[in-house]
Amino acid sequence: MKRKLIITLLTMALVAMAVTGCGKKGASSDNSSNESSDTSGKEEVKSLRFLDVVPSETRQTYYEGIFEKFQEETGIEVTYESVPWDDAANKITVLGSSGQLPDVMTTWSGWLGQYTVAGWVVPLDEYVTDIRGEYTDAVNNLLWKSEEERYGHVYTIPDGLMVKGVFVRKDWCEEAGIKLDPTQDWTYDDYFDLVAKLTDVSEKHYGTSYRGARGALDPLLVYMQGYTGGNTYDQQGKILINSEDCLNAFIKWTDVYKNGYAPEDSINWGFTEMVDNFTGGLTGTLINDSEVAATCQKNMSDDQWMVMPMPKSTVDGKIYNTINAPYSYSISGDSKSPDVAWKLVEFLSRSENSIEYCKLTGEIPIKKDVENDETYGLNGPYATFVQQLNDPDLAVPTTYGPFDYTDLHQGMFHEEIQKYLLGKEEAGTALTNITDELQSRMNDYMTKNPDATIETALKLQ
Amino acid sequence: MKKKWDKRKPGHHAEKSKMEPYFYILPVVLLLILTFGYPLLKSIIMAFQNYKLSNINDVYFNNFANFKKMFGDSDFLLLLKNSLIYVVISVTGQFVLGLILALTLKQKFRGRGLYQAIVFLPWAFSTFVVGLLFRWSFNGEYGVVNDLLIRAGIVDKGIAWLGTPGLSLVIIILAMIWLGIPFFGIMILAALQSIPEEVYEAADMDGCGLINKFFNITLPFIKPTVIITILLRTIWIFNSFDLVVIVTGGGPANYSQTLPSFMYTKAFSGYDFGLAGALGLMLMVILSIYAMVFLKISNYDKAGDF
Amino acid sequence: MKRSTKRKILNTVRILVLTFFFLLVVLPIYWMVITSFKTNPEIINAQKITYFPETFTLENYRSLFNMLDYGIFLKNSVTITFSTSVCIVLLSILSGYGLARFKFKGKSAVLLFFLITQMIPGILVIIPLYVVFSKAGLINTHFTLFLYYLITNLPFCAITMRSFFERIPYVLEEAAYMDGCSRFKSLRKVILPVMFPGIVAVFVFAFIGAWNELIAGTIFINTPDMWTIPVGLKSLIGKYSVQWGALMAGGVLTLLPTAVMFIFVQKYVVEGLTSGAVKG
Repeated sequence: MKRKLIITLLTMALVAMAVTGCGKKGASSDNSSNESSDTSGKEEVKSLRFLDVVPSETRQTYYEGIFEKFQEETGIEVTYESVPWDDAANKITVLGSSGQLPDVMTTWSGWLGQYTVAGWVVPLDEYVTDIRGEYTDAVNNLLWKSEEERYGHVYTIPDGLMVKGVFVRKDWCEEAGIKLDPTQDWTYDDYFDLVAKLTDVSEKHYGTSYRGARGALDPLLVYMQGYTGGNTYDQQGKILINSEDCLNAFIKWTDVYKNGYAPEDSINWGFTEMVDNFTGGLTGTLINDSEVAATCQKNMSDDQWMVMPMPKSTVDGKIYNTINAPYSYSISGDSKSPDVAWKLVEFLSRSENSIEYCKLTGEIPIKKDVENDETYGLNGPYATFVQQLNDPDLAVPTTYGPFDYTDLHQGMFHEEIQKYLLGKEEAGTALTNITDELQSRMNDYMTKNPDATIETALKLQ
Repeated sequence: MKKKWDKRKPGHHAEKSKMEPYFYILPVVLLLILTFGYPLLKSIIMAFQNYKLSNINDVYFNNFANFKKMFGDSDFLLLLKNSLIYVVISVTGQFVLGLILALTLKQKFRGRGLYQAIVFLPWAFSTFVVGLLFRWSFNGEYGVVNDLLIRAGIVDKGIAWLGTPGLSLVIIILAMIWLGIPFFGIMILAALQSIPEEVYEAADMDGCGLINKFFNITLPFIKPTVIITILLRTIWIFNSFDLVVIVTGGGPANYSQTLPSFMYTKAFSGYDFGLAGALGLMLMVILSIYAMVFLKISNYDKAGDF
Repeated sequence: MKRSTKRKILNTVRILVLTFFFLLVVLPIYWMVITSFKTNPEIINAQKITYFPETFTLENYRSLFNMLDYGIFLKNSVTITFSTSVCIVLLSILSGYGLARFKFKGKSAVLLFFLITQMIPGILVIIPLYVVFSKAGLINTHFTLFLYYLITNLPFCAITMRSFFERIPYVLEEAAYMDGCSRFKSLRKVILPVMFPGIVAVFVFAFIGAWNELIAGTIFINTPDMWTIPVGLKSLIGKYSVQWGALMAGGVLTLLPTAVMFIFVQKYVVEGLTSGAVKG
């Protein structure tokens, strides 16, 4: 009996291995890489690999549909590859360092510093030259301009635009007798005031979704830049965000947590928890991208939420707001045939495709001819975001610097802030540790690139 | 003579060739050398190189710069402390609870088969799922643990388990213990069952007490199993980082970060493989020293040949 | 009085201990299962935590199958895990036998090497292997995971198998030789049947190790149609929301196959690890 079992087991294993298990290749991705290397990048390339870094049911369905259309038109087959957002950066690094990047990949702007240095993305200037006019001012004057300033070339084609706003619990405000008007300006002080008023711990109502973990410094940087004209460094490359004003801003921002206007747990919150806890009814405000509007629509009723523009700086009255294309398309350095890859990018960016995509993912259109689609009108869910784009006071602040800061973003930035929140460190020490590290990297960069111009905050109008 | 049988196994099979044992061992050893050898060498070399994945064209030897960076990290001592606390408490907890479980399971009772199947279930869990389950249950606002504590009147305000230094590491340790009890339980139970009944009967005749029997019969009998299980579990747990990454991500402010999770989140996400190699090398050195000392102290050579 | 009181106390302690372990295991599982049947608003409700679903829903399971190709993941996981485990069993029988029955030059070196492989942090193995795999054009094949799970689980399984062989008296084998059996025949006809529970034990060790692995799965595999269950589940942690309900449902479904297998074979595992000599 037992012997029989063993024999059956062995046979089954062999069969399983022979038939299915080992050596079976996934989809057509391998064919594509093999094929493209065989034909060494001539016109015969018949398949492409596409990597999505924020896979979801919606996105996968959209892309698979659009790839089918692309194949009908061009005969080129596209494989949809994806990696969960959490692991995306790691995965691309592994792919990149072993020369296995897919032809086209969706890229987050924060990664570009690393990717351009490593040659994982190729410049798209020559493709873009003739079609610039089709894209909105925001793309031309903000996105591409800043890429050119930072990296010397245009490297990405935006998938759509993302603008930040303050999501607010409309019903909580009404209960508390607070009147908010999205078309009226407001300042950071008004915002802090609102956060305090919405907090009612006995009801389990907290003022805001405080971001304590990875990315904790991002919104805080923008707030501090309200005191430095939107810049991180001055024209000599000296760091600006360590001033007295900025330290006070640092303290004021973190007081939201220290005063208990955010759940104690939020010291560990990243993007996901912030959104989850806002839509779940624990927190009253949330500073986040327009993309989140789709999540809110899905999980909340219309009378529960609204969007305010980002608060204005109390110093110069500007709205400092990061504007980027969250998962813009780039062509990888490993693509055997960038020309064919470009065909795909161009197809994806066609007005009718791009507007369909934007509506699906909650992004702002990038093409002039579909800019005024009614979804993005005054009564649509994106009114506040579009309105900010048209605000003469809008300015896009600079980033942490033109160098690779991924490791700091993964660690030091939020850890120093956390140490202060936990009372293990003074606010000044935390901020100084961060700014000293940034300054030393900036100095390194300046030594290596003496001719580099230092980026400054960009204005749309 | 030429044929060397294991001395403990009586009997010879003289005509077999000297090469025979290698026929059995070699496939596995070769496979492992091929697959582990290269990575091992590679990471040792990387430890002494400036090896950033983000800049793969700029690889050069930088002597001990990676080690300087590693030891120079202001949180290094904290990480080392966390790692030790994590591994010592997890292994001790698993061992003690696993031992108690095995001792109670040794005697037959009705429904033992089913009971055994249930209490050994955590072993079948994936770390990922357990990590999420604990993270969810210990959530400060939605967590069932806080709710239970408040209902029981033990606390009047929810505790931020995962947001408090010290506590967040405790949750990771709890999850690790929960996952690991069955492994110890099974190994020890098996060892217990292989103790011949006659030994206990003889002890009964001599009027030995329960505690006496435990220390003089049970423990010596299961010692080899316990030693090898503790050794392996320590190595595995020391190197494991998935629970840390899933439950807290090392937070807040590195207070639940261990050396391997630091290696994963910082060196890997920062793409600094030189640093990762240096950390890896140090982990291996620590583990080798531990293994040697542990085997020496426990006199394992006498119990079996390792 | 002495004896019976003592026994009574002992019994009470035993029952308490058994209950403790039972609750320790069952309560978290209970929480996972009922969460998987709750609606999302009920799950994320800080005001009120429910101990039984107010609205019982299968939506999480449905969305798991809709959102993800759970069936495909299941198939992938089963094929990889099954073929890995079987190969591990075969290879560890081979090496376990060699290590248990012979004395030879380099034996302790082999054992030491096995121990050292356990000390290498997994991530340091994955990256160089990735480079090798990609040069061989093997990325995004199940073979990569098959091989990785094979080598990471093999050393422990081989050592475990060795101790099973050591427990089987050599006389048993010798008797077979007397009857004119070749070594292979004696191994197959005499030893392996005695060792059946041990083989099951090793199979289960390998199976569980491979079934639950996540990191290599995310690195070596590119396309969703090739994902294993843990990688698929991980993708439920989106950028903007953790789908707790679906995650817990996924947890239940991941656990189910292993749990069922485990319930049936755990007695062999214990039996296998217990000396084979008892029956021999």
